[in-house]
Amino acid sequence: MTEEPSPNVQEIQFWLDKMVAWGRADSPNIQRDVSLHLRRLSSYLQQLLTHINNLISTTETMKRMPLLGQFLGRLCWIPYVTADGDATNPLHNVLFPQKVLCQLTTDEDDAAAQALMKPMGVPPNEYHLKVLRKVFSFYSCWCSCDSILAASEACVPLATCPEAAPLIDALLQRPATCVRAALSEDFLDALSCAYSRQNLSLEEQAVFSLWHHSLSSLEVAVLSLLESVCTNTGSTPQRMLQQVSQSLLCNYILCTSTVSFVTYTAAGQKNPSDPTKLVTCSAECCYLLPSSRGHHRVFEAWFLLVQCAHWVQVTVQLLGTKGPEDCGPLLWLLTFYHHPTNRGHHRALQLVRLETERPMREGSRVKRVIWPEFHLSVSRLSASSHNPGRLHRPLSNYDLTFNSHRVCLCSSFVNLLIY
Amino acid sequence: MVRVQLVCSPQRLQCPAAEPPEAEKRHMETLLKNVSSTAELLAVSARSGALEQWDGHALSRAFHWARYGEHLFRRFHSDPAVRTAMEKQLQLTNQSLRAALPGYTDVSFCDLSRCQHLLLVGLLNNPELPVSIMRILFGSGSPADTEHSEYVDVTGLCSHIIQCKSACKVLSPLADSSAVGADAEVQGAMLMERLGALMGRGREARRAEHFLDSLLQGCDGASEHFCLVIAAALLTAKNSAAEGAAQDVLQDWLQKTPGVLKLTCSALSASLLAGLAKEHRKFREAYCGVLKTWASDMEYSVHEGEWVQTSTKTCMVTFQKLTEHFLALFEKCPPQRDDVERELNALKLSDGDFDVRGLSVWGDLLSALNT
Repeated sequence: MTEEPSPNVQEIQFWLDKMVAWGRADSPNIQRDVSLHLRRLSSYLQQLLTHINNLISTTETMKRMPLLGQFLGRLCWIPYVTADGDATNPLHNVLFPQKVLCQLTTDEDDAAAQALMKPMGVPPNEYHLKVLRKVFSFYSCWCSCDSILAASEACVPLATCPEAAPLIDALLQRPATCVRAALSEDFLDALSCAYSRQNLSLEEQAVFSLWHHSLSSLEVAVLSLLESVCTNTGSTPQRMLQQVSQSLLCNYILCTSTVSFVTYTAAGQKNPSDPTKLVTCSAECCYLLPSSRGHHRVFEAWFLLVQCAHWVQVTVQLLGTKGPEDCGPLLWLLTFYHHPTNRGHHRALQLVRLETERPMREGSRVKRVIWPEFHLSVSRLSASSHNPGRLHRPLSNYDLTFNSHRVCLCSSFVNLLIY
Repeated sequence: MVRVQLVCSPQRLQCPAAEPPEAEKRHMETLLKNVSSTAELLAVSARSGALEQWDGHALSRAFHWARYGEHLFRRFHSDPAVRTAMEKQLQLTNQSLRAALPGYTDVSFCDLSRCQHLLLVGLLNNPELPVSIMRILFGSGSPADTEHSEYVDVTGLCSHIIQCKSACKVLSPLADSSAVGADAEVQGAMLMERLGALMGRGREARRAEHFLDSLLQGCDGASEHFCLVIAAALLTAKNSAAEGAAQDVLQDWLQKTPGVLKLTCSALSASLLAGLAKEHRKFREAYCGVLKTWASDMEYSVHEGEWVQTSTKTCMVTFQKLTEHFLALFEKCPPQRDDVERELNALKLSDGDFDVRGLSVWGDLLSALNT
């Protein structure tokens, strides 16, 4: 066993001072400070544990690091810290005497509550679980954007707490409707760490949302996957490929990059032999976009689509030839082109109205000049949503700036909108 | 030497009523024997050096028995005949255990509801507890949910408990969207459940009232907290007629029991009380009654230039606070305003109908409410 450098005295002093401060008051500032330092504390504790495991006895440990006893004695009584099971559970068996562990597990602070729960036949553990679930139910009713940040900060130590999973899921999958409703970076960091140690129990969509929110968490996930595949010595290349393709990460990458891939491909093909297939595929991928995407992702996809606006023209033509059951993805692509953010959630309504209004083919011939009329319908629909100005602004800003050869196309749009 | 057979598991419970009398008698005997064994288990885990022999399997079986004890409580706590028989059996077991083990604390039928907790307390307080057992209880990984299986996995049970308690402490203060707080809400809901179970199908109020009396007695210094829980119970949504009936019984008890209603009205905030008054007519009337009683208890102090309470009883209310109570009530229940003002006017008239401050508490109250 290699000799780990013993944790230095200054560091123990630093953490001891933190424990004193954190143990003193319950306030949002304390919580903020804990969230900021929890990751560092966690790795410090791990370091301590490794060092102590290498020594012969706890008495020797205490002799070498006299402040350690004080530090641990305070740490175990700070709920912000002990709520993080990942960081503090490993310490239980090694560093705390039985008497302390007994107190931590069985002492009940709230005597008034126990005076009622005991005659009612509700055991303490069941009571705490019920309170926890009740608290989580409050959080999911929150509507204000400012609460989201506070809630995510409060959940920093709870990344690995199984009861917190529904709340964490809800926080991650909440649609990004407001800039202020941002999740705490420390929260995303904690989740990412827990995920890399396979200590996180979230739904697939919630994990996708985590990766959407935090690029670094995606990086960590990629590295973890690569590490697990590569360290699996004796595995054939075929098995490695299988392991990668079956991973959650692969699903995620397929889901989000297909749109980009297809539209990039479409942009590169000036005169493809079969435009319908490419457009239909692109439309279907856009249609399947997960609902919890961040704004920047949406605009990236939309911007790429704008780069190949001629495919939108093909989409309209295809709509004339397709039966009602095949129209869904194509209509979706069209509304997405005109109204990417779907603020006010009007897209569903627009799709229904477009279904009824789309120009039908006359006899067996496709009406080739349906382009301006149909776009009039689409633009009218979009303009009837809350903020009509929102529509032509992105079109004029992005398209005009980056596609000078599309100016004529774009100006006809803008003309349609400005009556 | 007390020995407990942890080899076999308790037999599965069957419905006693469906069996012939002989089988029922045997079944009852088995139940009572199992109750006895559970009490013995708790005694052994707390006091015995035999713990040294315990391994993971023994630990698991011990928790299985403890879970069974909790199951017995849930099944029979509202069945008076079976419950009484079990209580008698426990008395006998306690007697013999007291004789065998010095410092033994009796196990009551109520204690069965928290058997696993008591087992844990006993084990963790036992200096003979082997390190290997500690390693299991405080090990990593959450215990699996093994509600319906024979094998109870208690790996990491204690670590999970600590984490859960800490999470509660961290998050409860932040959940400010509740009028009473998360813990009071949970306790209120439990109270409603219990009252409903005690009342049974016949909606018998008596047992529920006795239970409330015993809770009040047991509160001992935490009576104000009990009042908060009563408020929370009255605010739980009525999901069934049974719950409505239980809330009725609770309100009746509140009015009948001396001091509790007044304590509730002085301990809780004006807005919370107004919320209660809005939901429950009975409470609204009782609440108005208390406010009027407080007012009639007041005397005008020339020295302080204000109305003050004459009696030196525990509920101290100022004139200012009294006014706030009325205003909060009117805000939540606007129709109440006319009724109350009519009454206050009548009382003011009986006092001589003066408009000079300090002569009639009713007159001054009316003025304060209308400024």
